[in-house]
Amino acid sequence: MSELQVTFTRERIARYAEASGDHNPIHLDDDFARSVGLPGVIAHGLLQMGILATVAAEAAGGPDHLRRIAVRFAGMVVPGDTVTFRAEPAGDGKLALTAVNQKGEAVLTKGMAEFAA
Amino acid sequence: MAAVAGRTYPAVRFEIEPDAVAAFATAIGADPADGVPPTFAAVYSLGVTAPQLLGDDEAAVDFANLLHAEQEFEWQRHPLVGETVISRARVASDTSRRGMRFVSFETDTTDEQGAPLSRSRTLFVIREDVRPARAPAP
Repeated sequence: MSELQVTFTRERIARYAEASGDHNPIHLDDDFARSVGLPGVIAHGLLQMGILATVAAEAAGGPDHLRRIAVRFAGMVVPGDTVTFRAEPAGDGKLALTAVNQKGEAVLTKGMAEFAA
Repeated sequence: MAAVAGRTYPAVRFEIEPDAVAAFATAIGADPADGVPPTFAAVYSLGVTAPQLLGDDEAAVDFANLLHAEQEFEWQRHPLVGETVISRARVASDTSRRGMRFVSFETDTTDEQGAPLSRSRTLFVIREDVRPARAPAP
């Protein structure tokens, strides 16, 4: 089993916005985020998925071994949240993936990966 | 609301530059020495094609009320740093129910010779029963 705990910060979210080119203001601008009904800025789902993929890659024996990864973006992650990312063997080249916040709520669900030897 | 299932978009070329890979790897906590992180597909595949959907007036996807609900990436081969890749996207399905619109958006990425690298599958959910959000303050 591979596991990683990450506390999200505005800086981390802003760095992902820069690196990914996803500058949607819901990730960067509190006032805008509130205007669309969010509590403030939220982390990119794809940032969560990217971190989860690094954990899956470790469990798979390296990133080149990953053949598939899938998630549902089920909950918001806001600055200050600590998320535990986990990959567990699920038999036959498969991994079960989870991401759970400090309140025990799943922020990513239906997480799975496949890997090749 | 326009249903645009089956719509396809023109191929997009993208060069996987070393600096961009390193910045992305650092942002997700991967080791830049490990090459192109698998989910850099969020950039070289989904990232280069999603603007085609979002900028398509006939598809009329309301960006302000759009939720990225599900994502899947699948690879035949991971691209190399410095490689140029080509992505082609399509709307796999487009349905509405109970004030929600569900758009399944798929992007196939190949190398320059046309050999398959990856497929991205995205489910966007768009709320149709709300007014457009205000633009960000200047």
